[in-house]
Amino acid sequence: MTIRVLGISGSPHRHGNTETLLDAFLDGAERAGGSVEKVILKDLDYLPCRGCNACHKDGQCILKDDAPPLFDQVLAVNCLAVSSPIYSMGITAELKGLIDRAQYLWARKFILKNLYFTDEHIKQHKGIFISTAGLSWDNVFDAAFPAITAFFNTMGFEYYDNIIANDMDRYQGIRGHPTALADAQAKGQEVIRVVEDLTVKAAQK
Amino acid sequence: MAIKVLAFAGSPRRHGNSETLLDWVLDAMEKEPDVTLEKVVIVDADVNPCRGCNACEKLNMCIQRDGMDILHDKIIDADVIVLSSPIYCMGICSQVKALIDRFQVFRSRKYVLKLPVVPPERRGKRFGIFLSTAGQNWDHVFDAAVPSVKCFFHVIDVKDRDIRYLMVNGVDEKGAIQNHPTARTDAERLAREVITDIRARLAA
Repeated sequence: MTIRVLGISGSPHRHGNTETLLDAFLDGAERAGGSVEKVILKDLDYLPCRGCNACHKDGQCILKDDAPPLFDQVLAVNCLAVSSPIYSMGITAELKGLIDRAQYLWARKFILKNLYFTDEHIKQHKGIFISTAGLSWDNVFDAAFPAITAFFNTMGFEYYDNIIANDMDRYQGIRGHPTALADAQAKGQEVIRVVEDLTVKAAQK
Repeated sequence: MAIKVLAFAGSPRRHGNSETLLDWVLDAMEKEPDVTLEKVVIVDADVNPCRGCNACEKLNMCIQRDGMDILHDKIIDADVIVLSSPIYCMGICSQVKALIDRFQVFRSRKYVLKLPVVPPERRGKRFGIFLSTAGQNWDHVFDAAVPSVKCFFHVIDVKDRDIRYLMVNGVDEKGAIQNHPTARTDAERLAREVITDIRARLAA
């Protein structure tokens, strides 16, 4: 079985620090035998959530655009890497706009109760958050984590790890960072092995 | 001298809980003498997300032409700026995040170009209010919203000590805040306090 990996790039800035770090992760995953796809949010056509709560009644989003097919794609992969630079101490509006749109899946899980992920499913599905920040502060990613946690929970992924690098302004970009790209690539290889082991074990049961 | 209040209603849901909380604050402010109010509904204000191009670090202005062209001067002119947002997925909604990220032009002005955001005589004479509501009743539900809100205010020269917060959890369905035991009186008290404080600061 091939492990499917989806990388979502939430930066409005193509081939910048965060997307480069995501690429390193995806490269590692591909080298380890994973099947890798990448989606650039800024090239998709989707609106932010309107908060209408119509989905609380029927589990469907009233907005017909690129977001629901992307969520279908997310639900079909084994590993999900969500990436965003830190802008104003949080994830970008593009990524937050997407995450908020998953409300219909949240509604299916918690209100309509017609979507359920087993513990085994969640364990076999790994979510990774990839981010960079210009500032050197240790706490610069802290406000990003809760929304990412909520997204992985909604989509049935275990929050496996973060690949984060701050102080980009000092390093003059991710390529100037001593370890980040190599670490991201190693993490991509690692997660494929981990998911493979879990899947094989589950099949042997 | 009139006190200028600029308020942003950040929710995509009109007249829901966070906007009601905002309206209570604004109604109380309006009852005070010499207060002029303007309320901007972000979803109607045509504010695109920041493109991360960093051109503002050189140009001292944004390369995008949209609703921010109109809001820019209003943001500088206001004595009190009020921001309201619901909590979606443990954070501010993306419409509010887009507005905050567009304040990058002020950040570049202040920290990169080292130019004044407000005239020197108005520094330290601005107040900010953040209003928020959340469906969840967890105490920590607002934690991830606050750092971005601080960025929003800091870059427009509202000092940390001059930011006030009123965040109400456990209100989910539209209108739920109407049944909250203290939200309305807290909002009205906050409005009066901030107007009193800014009036004293402007007179000093």
